[in-house]
Amino acid sequence: MSAFPRWSLWLALLVVAFSARAADELNLFGWSEYVPQPVLDGFTKETGIRVNFETYASNEEMLSKLLAGGRHYDLIQPSDYAAEVLIRRKLIAPLDRAKLPNLKNIDPAFRHRPHDPEGRFTVPYMSGTVGIVVNTDKVKDPIVGYRDIFQPKFKDRIVVLNDNREIVSWALDTLGLPVNDVTRENLAKARPVIAQWIQLIKVFDSDSPKTALLNGDVDLGIVWSGEAALLWNEDHKFRYILPAEGAHQFVDVLAIPANAEHPDAAHAFINYILRPEVSVLISKAFPYTNPNLAARNLLTPVQLANPASYPPADGKKLEVFHDIGRAAAEIDRLMTDLKSSK
Amino acid sequence: MSGTTAGTSVAASGTHQPRASLRSWLLLAPTIAWLVIFVIAPTAILLVYSFCDRDELGSVVYSFTLDNYRRILDPIYARIFWRSIAYAAISTALCVVIGFPVAYCIGRAREAVRQRLLLLLMVPFWTSFLIRTYAWITILKQEGLLNSLIHAFVTTAAPFDLLYTPTAVMIGLVYAYLPFMILPIYGSVEKLDGSLIEAAHDLGAGPLRVFSTVIFPLTSPGIAAGTLLVFVPAIGMFAITDLLGGARVPLIGNVIQNQFMQARDWPFGAALGVVFLALFAVAYVLLQGRATRGGGPA
Repeated sequence: MSAFPRWSLWLALLVVAFSARAADELNLFGWSEYVPQPVLDGFTKETGIRVNFETYASNEEMLSKLLAGGRHYDLIQPSDYAAEVLIRRKLIAPLDRAKLPNLKNIDPAFRHRPHDPEGRFTVPYMSGTVGIVVNTDKVKDPIVGYRDIFQPKFKDRIVVLNDNREIVSWALDTLGLPVNDVTRENLAKARPVIAQWIQLIKVFDSDSPKTALLNGDVDLGIVWSGEAALLWNEDHKFRYILPAEGAHQFVDVLAIPANAEHPDAAHAFINYILRPEVSVLISKAFPYTNPNLAARNLLTPVQLANPASYPPADGKKLEVFHDIGRAAAEIDRLMTDLKSSK
Repeated sequence: MSGTTAGTSVAASGTHQPRASLRSWLLLAPTIAWLVIFVIAPTAILLVYSFCDRDELGSVVYSFTLDNYRRILDPIYARIFWRSIAYAAISTALCVVIGFPVAYCIGRAREAVRQRLLLLLMVPFWTSFLIRTYAWITILKQEGLLNSLIHAFVTTAAPFDLLYTPTAVMIGLVYAYLPFMILPIYGSVEKLDGSLIEAAHDLGAGPLRVFSTVIFPLTSPGIAAGTLLVFVPAIGMFAITDLLGGARVPLIGNVIQNQFMQARDWPFGAALGVVFLALFAVAYVLLQGRATRGGGPA
C-alpha cells in the first residue's frame, strides 16, 4: 500500500509532463514549397510552440492521409475544392474568430468564396490562377488563349501542368462547356481536343514547369501563376496571360481538422501568418496573389507590378473548381488512354 | 546467386541436424518478423483493397467487387504493361552489354586496383538518386552540357533534342540500374578460375569459343542475378519517366502512382499492384530457375 501513492505521483507527473509538452506543439500539414522556413522559425521563437511540418504534393495526397487518420493534424492547407468537400463531410472544425483578430487584413473578396460562403471554416492563405506563359523572344505571334498555343507549328515547344483535371478543364473551356460538369458526355466531347493537344505537348510537369521554360527546351507553357511570377522575376521576356476562354482561379486556405489536438496552437499560427510583416515573407518566396491587403501594402512596386502575381482585371472569366468526386477516375482513364496511344 | 547459397546451407543443416532447434528459430525470428511486417502484411492489404470499392474521396469501401480486375483487361492497361516490360527489357539488355565488360575488367584487375574500381562504382550512391537524375536534365537539355560539347567540335551541328524523349528515359534507366548489373557479374567473374580459360586456350579454343563455352556459362548466375535486380525495379520506375521523359508516355509505375495521387482510386491502384506483383513472381521463377541451374554443379 505504501508504494501506491508514490506510484500514482509519478504517473501524475508523467501526465502533466506529457500534456505540457503536447500543448507546445503544432502539427502542420501543408504543401511542399509553400510555407517559408523563416515563418515557421519566427512562430516558434515568439510563442515557444514547436511546429512539426509535414508536406504533401497534391490535394488528393492530403485527403487520403487525413482520412487514413494515422496522425492528428492541427492545421491543413487544402485548395478551395478540397476544403469544400472536407467541410461537407464535417472533417473541418469551425474557426473561433475571436482568436483571429488579424482576419481584418484579408481582402473581403477572398473571405466569402463558394467553398466556404460565410468564411466560418477557412482562412485564405494564397491565391493564384492557371495561365499561359510565353517566351516572347522566341514566340512573336499574339497569344491570347488555349487555341493560340495548341497549333501544329508549336509542336514540341509546350509545357503544361501534369494535372489531368486542369488539362480537361482547358479543353472544356475551349469548347465553351462548364469546367465543373465532368460528365461522360462532356468528356467524350473533350476527348478529340485533348488528343490533338497531347501530340503537341513536350513536357508535363506540375512540380516545376518553369524549369523547361528556363532551360529553353520549350517556349510556351500553361502553368501556375506563382511559377510564372518567378519566371518574370528571372527575365521579363516571360509574359503571363490569362487565357481568353477562361482561367482557373484557386484559393489555398488554412483550416483546422475536426480531430485536431492543438486547436489553440493552430489558431495562434493562423493569426501569426495573417500579420502583414509575416505574410509578406510568404509573398516574397512564393509570389502568388496575396489575399492579405495589409501585406500587399508592404510589397515593392516591382513585386506588385508582376503580371503573374497580380494580373490586370480586364474582364477575363475566372473559374472556381468544385469537387468532382468519382469523376476523377474517369479523367484519369481518359488521359492515360490518350497519352499512351500517341 | 543468393538462392544457391541459401539452398546449400539449408541442405547442409538438414543433413547434420534433422530438426531446427529453438536457437535457430530465435536466430530466424528477426527475419521472419521483418518479412511479416514489411512483405506479407502489406501484400495482404494490397490484395484485400484490390477487391474493394471506393468512395468519392478515393478511400477504400469494404464491399466485394471484381471491377478493378475487369478494368485491367482494358487494352489501355495491357498496352501500358507491355510498354513497361519492353522498356525494362531493353534497359536490362543494355545494362548487360555495358555492364559485362566493366565487371569483367574489374574482376580481372589487380587486387589494389580492383578495390579502387569498386569504390568508384559506389561513389554515385553517396548522393540522392533524384539529384543525380536532375543532373541528367542539365546534361541532356537543349542548352545543356552534351549539346554544347557537340557544338564545340562540330559548330554546324543542330542541337540534339534529347531531354523529354524515350531515349532520355532509357539513358536514365540504364544509368540508374547499371551498378546493380555490374556487382553480381563482378561476383561471378571474381570467382572465375583463370586456369580454366588457359586450359581452353591450350586445347585450341579461339577467344569466341572460350567466351561462349567457358566464361559465359560460369558467369551466367551473375548475369541472371543482375538481370533480376535491374529488370524488376525498372518495370515499376516512375520518377525517371516523369523527370527525363516529361511524363508524356505513361509506364505502369506512373499509372499506379496516379491512382493514389490524382485519380482517387486506391482499389484500382491496388489491383494493378497485385497484377504487377504476379508478373514479378513469374519473372523471378523463370530467372531463378536459370540461375540455380547455371550455378548448380558448383
